Amino acid sequence: MADAAARSVIELGYGGNERLVMNMGPQHPSAHGVFRMILTLEGETIVAVDPIIGYLHRCHEKLGETLTYVQYPSIASKTDYVSAMTAELCYVRAAEVVGQIEVPKRAQYLRVLAAELQRVASHCLWLGTWCMDMGGALGGGATLFLYCFRERETILDLFEALTGARLLYGFHQIGGTRYDLPAGWDATCRETVAQVEERLDEYEALLEGNPIFLVRAQGVGVISPELAQEVGVSGPLLRGSGIAHDIRRAEPYSSYEDFAFDVPVEAAGDCYARYRVRMVEFRQSIRIVRQVLDGLPQGPISSRPGVKSVAQVKLPKGEAYARVESARGEVGIYLVSEGATKPYRMKWRGASFSNLAVAGLILPGHKVADAVAILGSIDPVFGEVDR
Amino acid sequence: MSDLLWTVGPPFILLNGVVILITYLTLLERKFAARLQSRVGPYRVGHPHGWLQPIADALKLMLKEDIVPAAADRGVYNLAPIVFLVPAFLMYAAIPFAPGLGLADLEIGILFVLAVSSLEVIGLFMCGWGSNNKYALLSAMRAVNQIISYEVPFILLALVPVVLAGSLRLADIVDAQAGLWYAFYPVLGWLTFASFVIVSLASENRIPFDIVEAESELVAGFRVEYSGMKFALIQLAEFTHLFGVACLATLLFLGGWRPATGALGPVVFLLKALALFVLIIWVRWSFIRIRVDQILTLSWKLFLPVSLGLLLAAAVWVVVARGGSGG
Amino acid sequence: MVGTALTMVRATASAMRVTLRNLLRKPVTVHYPDVTRPYPDRFRGVLALTYDPETGEENCIGCRLCEYICPPQVIQVQMLKAEKRNYAKIFYLELYACEFCELCVQVCPTDAIIMLKTFDLAVDDRRELLLDKDRLHALGRQFPASWATGTGLRAMQAPPKKGGEKGAAAGDAGG
Repeated sequence: MADAAARSVIELGYGGNERLVMNMGPQHPSAHGVFRMILTLEGETIVAVDPIIGYLHRCHEKLGETLTYVQYPSIASKTDYVSAMTAELCYVRAAEVVGQIEVPKRAQYLRVLAAELQRVASHCLWLGTWCMDMGGALGGGATLFLYCFRERETILDLFEALTGARLLYGFHQIGGTRYDLPAGWDATCRETVAQVEERLDEYEALLEGNPIFLVRAQGVGVISPELAQEVGVSGPLLRGSGIAHDIRRAEPYSSYEDFAFDVPVEAAGDCYARYRVRMVEFRQSIRIVRQVLDGLPQGPISSRPGVKSVAQVKLPKGEAYARVESARGEVGIYLVSEGATKPYRMKWRGASFSNLAVAGLILPGHKVADAVAILGSIDPVFGEVDR
Repeated sequence: MSDLLWTVGPPFILLNGVVILITYLTLLERKFAARLQSRVGPYRVGHPHGWLQPIADALKLMLKEDIVPAAADRGVYNLAPIVFLVPAFLMYAAIPFAPGLGLADLEIGILFVLAVSSLEVIGLFMCGWGSNNKYALLSAMRAVNQIISYEVPFILLALVPVVLAGSLRLADIVDAQAGLWYAFYPVLGWLTFASFVIVSLASENRIPFDIVEAESELVAGFRVEYSGMKFALIQLAEFTHLFGVACLATLLFLGGWRPATGALGPVVFLLKALALFVLIIWVRWSFIRIRVDQILTLSWKLFLPVSLGLLLAAAVWVVVARGGSGG
Repeated sequence: MVGTALTMVRATASAMRVTLRNLLRKPVTVHYPDVTRPYPDRFRGVLALTYDPETGEENCIGCRLCEYICPPQVIQVQMLKAEKRNYAKIFYLELYACEFCELCVQVCPTDAIIMLKTFDLAVDDRRELLLDKDRLHALGRQFPASWATGTGLRAMQAPPKKGGEKGAAAGDAGG
């Protein structure tokens, strides 16, 4: 259906209005990844959307069946590569639930530390790319983009000191984490988050109260709570539509119940609400990071001996679904084990996959220029969508 | 012979001076934007600080292949960059850089400058039309729509200094600002100057009003089919026009070359125009763009009444405060 | 009307103040390659094979553990049996497909394969990134090594024995 529609360039709609079918993507400067939308336009207004995904499919679920439990965590980070820590965390949690493996307290705290720092870095990227979409690659948008990336780089420096890598970490392993904090990391981390918090005030000064920004973001891309629940969105999209659901609160994992943090909820459901939710999440994540650093217990970082061979981890028969709250929403893995060193079946529930599904439903009725703003506020990462 | 030299010489010098100045203004923009964004900008070409970068860019564009779309309307397509460029340069002919130092000291100076700068729109539309590209044409139509909508307040606001000075001659308008620059006149001056700057941003397709180029995120702007030197000419024309408007604003609102006289006059004038240009760049790199329907609404529902009101206020002020003096 | 104009002015002023403040900050640009950032200790760079510092012998015993664990299967090893200990007869590592996940370093029983504090090995021909044993040893001599070795990583991860000495080591290791 999509191809036939794409081949005809102009069709006459009712009332004699010329409808234009326009292809957006899979390569376009709206820096979200490979995503194709076939828009049917009437003048400036979008009338229908046909989203096409699959350009980044890399057979993760098949890889999950061929790689062992020891090998896969490094690969898991490549699904949601912007929020890699939580992707790895999801996999190892699923395996730990199946194998009923305990994780030492220190490792749990380190996992929380990594996840929350990763959330801050991911939201930096989100804000930068969203503003660039709205403001142009040459203009105020690019300015905010570079500021956000400047801050993100400092957090990636932290991760580099911790694991040796900047984007795809391999930090988690079954039973705990792979690396412990190096000397002096604590102090650098506190400095870094303090600086990020300061700079957040600058970003808000650039955007809040700016009528140009408010016109682009308020009332645009409204997701009603009913639609949100029907489609199954999660994360900031859900909380921006008034539903207070955060997995870290609803089903705490990895010692999240030890930390005090607020879960922001906004009722409006538009791009501005999602923006406010993420801006609050920035600060709450920094709050959690500080609590972790203050309360980090001594102890081992893994409950299993260090990895020595590829077939080291063998899980009993069983199946489990583990979910984590990543920067984008609920990331889940459903793992079926037949008692071998590799899973029998591993299914990814990608947060962006479900979130993106709502795009096709809310775009009609908006202007073309709003399409990029809405996509940006949905914050898809196509590694997660296509897996 | 010396007659010929006298006729051809000054325009030659002016034209080349303007081209070199504009070329290095692009470097200024890039360095300024870079510093605003915590980075360095062009650095290696003409190490340090990229002094040769504009030359390198010009050479690169000259060496690029000149691709003309097969179905393009060749005459219109080839002529469009020139039609875009010539009015921009023509503006500078009537702008005095110092008392007595202007190429043509017209009695109707400002009328000429405004009229000529409006001719740009034709070149822009020719670019879109000649490309034979549906999206270029759509984008050009929107650009024309925006520019024409903002021409009206632009002209009305430019008339406020004319009314205040009582003359169409640009040198007279500068001389009339001997006491206080028009930009600083209480309320009337502030509002007129601020509105003039905003309106000129809009008629130049600069951020925050550059929805025309935003098209290039989704489809393509009006200059998509241009490559190589023709593209360079279009870019040059846009920058030249922008700086020309900055010079005009300096004359009308910032007192031109005042308070300097003699040899320092042109220097002061250029410095003021540069300061205004830096302000425009600063605005560009600080804001995101406004949606197209909002841009047009602003023009017709806000700036048009405001500029009419300000013109009326200026006229009333002239009659009341000065007893209707001025020719 | 005046209200919206005032908000506009205030928003404009606040935005331009932020950009002005950044104008006056030192740029964060690092003028690579004239200046390089210092590599952190654990930097996961190019791979290399090592020699035993005391005896000068190759550390690699050709056990192929790294080959089995590598997720993209870029390592190829063949063992050479000898009297006292085994060696690697061939050792190929396809650096162009390597994921730099450090799993091979993690499992190596003799700390033979390590990662280096360098990454810029740009080449014109991809075949130059197919590292053979000699090349890997040469790289190991040429660039500084990262902190991570097999024994180091395993010690960091191992749970404490009774008495908790290993636990203390785990808390302080690395840096």
